[in-house]
Amino acid sequence: MILIFQTMLGLLGVLINFISIVVAGLLAGLLGSLTGLGGGTVLVPLLSLFYGVPIILATGASLISTIATSAGSASAYTKQKIANIKIGIGLEMATTTGAIVGSFTLYFIDRANLLWVIFIAFGSVLLFSMIPTIKRSMSELPKHIPPDWTTRVFQLSGSYYDSRLRKTVEYHGVRWYYGEIVMFFAGFISGLLGIGSGALKVMGMDWAMNLPMKVTTTTSNFMIGITAATGSSIYWRLGYIQPFLASATAIGVVLGSYFGAKLLMRLTNKEIRWVFFAILSFLGWDMVFRGIAYSNIVIISIFLQTTYAILLSVTMIAIAFYWIKGVRKHERLG
Amino acid sequence: MKDWDRDHVTSIILRVGVIGSLFFIIFGLVLLFVKGHADGYSLSQISTITSNKVTSGVLNLGDIISGSIALNPLYLIALGLWILIFTPVSVVFVALIEFIQEKNYSYVLMSLYVLCILLIAIIVL
Repeated sequence: MILIFQTMLGLLGVLINFISIVVAGLLAGLLGSLTGLGGGTVLVPLLSLFYGVPIILATGASLISTIATSAGSASAYTKQKIANIKIGIGLEMATTTGAIVGSFTLYFIDRANLLWVIFIAFGSVLLFSMIPTIKRSMSELPKHIPPDWTTRVFQLSGSYYDSRLRKTVEYHGVRWYYGEIVMFFAGFISGLLGIGSGALKVMGMDWAMNLPMKVTTTTSNFMIGITAATGSSIYWRLGYIQPFLASATAIGVVLGSYFGAKLLMRLTNKEIRWVFFAILSFLGWDMVFRGIAYSNIVIISIFLQTTYAILLSVTMIAIAFYWIKGVRKHERLG
Repeated sequence: MKDWDRDHVTSIILRVGVIGSLFFIIFGLVLLFVKGHADGYSLSQISTITSNKVTSGVLNLGDIISGSIALNPLYLIALGLWILIFTPVSVVFVALIEFIQEKNYSYVLMSLYVLCILLIAIIVL
């Protein structure tokens, strides 16, 4: 009798544990899609800071979940024929190569007991990816740059129907080689930190190749899955994927990003997004301070880490908020 | 000659891949709870997320199919996870077929390069 009771209690404990991980995935998917940074960027800090998950297992679970969300949303986007699969595959040469280099860099960092570096790198990448994401809302179509030789050789022209502008937008990409360079780094970061690094991919196609924002975001979304598949297979061999953890987060993140996408369409008050950006920047700073603490170079208590992280993120978001508001006001007047 | 819509096929593959993988993952998890152990590990060992004891390192890739047929919960979850990993790979494959039909040789080469890198990551490394 007591034995059965104990077994039941044990099962209940595991179930609660499972549900709590799914909830973390749900939160990550929700925040990731509301801010446009992707689920993994939120999942790794949540798991490693608050769930006591070793960071390599957090990156493994995150990379798996990234494939699931990428495939889920890319399925919807490719049907609308906005994502440019041709450009995506050309750029995947660089991201997949980068992912291999990144995964092995993580392995060597792990072997050298320098995982605190990953915390700091993760925090910094998170904070820097917020800049292009916040700025993104400012313009839809790129300014015209004449086609160059790569436009012709790599067939970078395309068109899509924009339902909001109610017209077919013709576009062409330029400077393919710059795109490839940025994409190598995007792949490297993806393999190193277990995230989709969508922000970097968007930068590659937006800044370097001058593609319209809609094409950039949807193509990047489709590419994220391929990059993450490369990293995940190497992670698997290295033993960085914990099946129980990865399956719980995959389920959570898929559900979370589904609801996030629905919520985003209904969100009329766009300024509420600043709250999400504030949470994200808190996670970024907290990762940086946790990394510093783990390095044993400077000793900071958990309480101080959190306090510093809150102060810095509030300051950062306040500055960004007023800066963007100022720019918008200026544009309206001009 | 092109008599099929690549974007439509891609969209279907992605959806089927995600649903299929989630099916096996959830099936494996349910079995894991019912059986209470898998592959010589207890449920509490498998569900411990604060240490890296039961990770992908203990699951042999070659045993995934036979382990899944034997209804081993851990291998069923692994099968689901690998279906997920292969889902984006199959999209590149579909694109390759279309590039071959279009005789677009520079893109045939590029998608072959991507597939090679993926295969190297999966099999060799």
